[in-house]
Amino acid sequence: MSPKPHLRLAGPPPELVAGGPVDFNELFARYGRYVARLASRLLGSGDTDVDDVVQDVFLLASRRLPTIVDMIQARGWLATVTTRLVARRLRRRRFRALFLSSSASRRGQEAPAPGATAEERAMLRRLYEVLESLPTPERLAWSLRYLEGEPLDLVAAACGCSLATAKRRVSAAKKVIDEVFGDA
Amino acid sequence: MRDQMWTSLGDKIEPPWAPEREDAVRAEIARRTARRRMMARAAVAVAVAVGSTGMIAVGGFALVRWQSAVPVAAQSVSGASTVANAPAAGDARETVTVTRLSSDTVLAPLPDRAGRGFALRAGAARFSVPHDPDRPFVVAAGDVTIEDLGTTFTVNYLAADRLKIAVEEGRVRVRAEGTDTEVPAGATLEVPVSPAVEGPRTEQRPTGVAAAWRPLAERGQYEEARRALRKAGPSAVRDDTADLLLAADAARLSGHPTEAVPYLDRVLRGHARDPRASLAAFTLGRVLLDELGRPSEAVDAFALARSSGGPLAEDALAREVEALSRAGEITRSREQALLYRRLYPNGRRAKAVARFGGLD
Repeated sequence: MSPKPHLRLAGPPPELVAGGPVDFNELFARYGRYVARLASRLLGSGDTDVDDVVQDVFLLASRRLPTIVDMIQARGWLATVTTRLVARRLRRRRFRALFLSSSASRRGQEAPAPGATAEERAMLRRLYEVLESLPTPERLAWSLRYLEGEPLDLVAAACGCSLATAKRRVSAAKKVIDEVFGDA
Repeated sequence: MRDQMWTSLGDKIEPPWAPEREDAVRAEIARRTARRRMMARAAVAVAVAVGSTGMIAVGGFALVRWQSAVPVAAQSVSGASTVANAPAAGDARETVTVTRLSSDTVLAPLPDRAGRGFALRAGAARFSVPHDPDRPFVVAAGDVTIEDLGTTFTVNYLAADRLKIAVEEGRVRVRAEGTDTEVPAGATLEVPVSPAVEGPRTEQRPTGVAAAWRPLAERGQYEEARRALRKAGPSAVRDDTADLLLAADAARLSGHPTEAVPYLDRVLRGHARDPRASLAAFTLGRVLLDELGRPSEAVDAFALARSSGGPLAEDALAREVEALSRAGEITRSREQALLYRRLYPNGRRAKAVARFGGLD
């Protein structure tokens, strides 16, 4: 699979690099939707959970603004923070699921896919059921690689692990998913 | 092959990110930032008070040792402590603090009030507000308006048609059923409220059940919102961009895309100069192309979405190429694909554009 065109690969537009310190409002306007979308893809849900992650990410960003040099660096940084906060949330969700039935723990959670057909929605539901069964690090690495289409080096950076570990996690998750959907 | 399928499915996961939702998230971030600052200041104030009390106590003790006028030194201890606290408390009150008091609280900033006004649509919230006579702080709950006169107060929906206002400090002025009532500290007031909700001085104000769909849609309960909307009839949707977009969301995200089309169309016809008109056009294009299979009409909608430029222009042009291709307009599809390639040489949608425009 070839990665989706990415700012880092395409070369940053000059207006994103120049201009001095990053302004919070500009950061939110430019990347609010991106963070919401990334959180939604990683979590497999679209409502309160996503809003909470977006709030947490930008709250942290507002405190770290002086350390963010430009908008390009900001995107990678936001991806990393989003991934880590989602990981924490998924672990919490998994802990809660110990006390609830799996259907109850996922009630009201569905990835919002307004442009998808009924068949694609069903496939997404099944995919997230499979992802729920995977260890969180493997789930996140695979989701970043395939649902978000990020290159492996960014997957490693966002997951806070080495490139080799990222490859191993993606591959482990891929094996399970291929097995489940192999003859779909 | 299957890997590409996952990426293409991933592309379709897109949380609805309407300006209202963005505003609500932004307001919540501002509230949490303010609360953190207030707590940090309170912690500093406590530390300063404890430190100064300790230092003055030590100083007082030394004075006791060196002088015989002991009572004077002892009095100055309590005085110093009070003065040290006063500025910190004053600083904390410079910020408007809004606290949601229940999980079902629906609160949205009122437009054009720069953080000095909120619409409470459900649940309860506590407001701690420094008074500014030039910019009065206002809470609109249905047809009731609460204006601060320098205060901390709570607004609580006891029922859908009953509102309770409790004042902890200062005073508020409550405007209900055309009558103004001032409520002093320590007092509470219960007033009837119509669930019809909008800004405090709104011209068109739907009443009763007519506005019940709105908080449901804002909470993402689109199916319920659509049902409420259908029950209330078409007049329940105000003729403003935000309301029309929200109604369109309720329709399309509850799986009834056909019903979303007239709302989006009304935005384009009646509010073409609104900055959100391009969002409405883009959404209309997506509904027509992806959900209703009407690519020829989608072409016009995407063309309109990109005509105003802005952040949606690239995506709109890419989807226009796709719509043209699906409508069988191969030549135009190729032309627009070439235009995309020229305008966005490293565009995010380059691959899809090349495929639909026949540039592969």
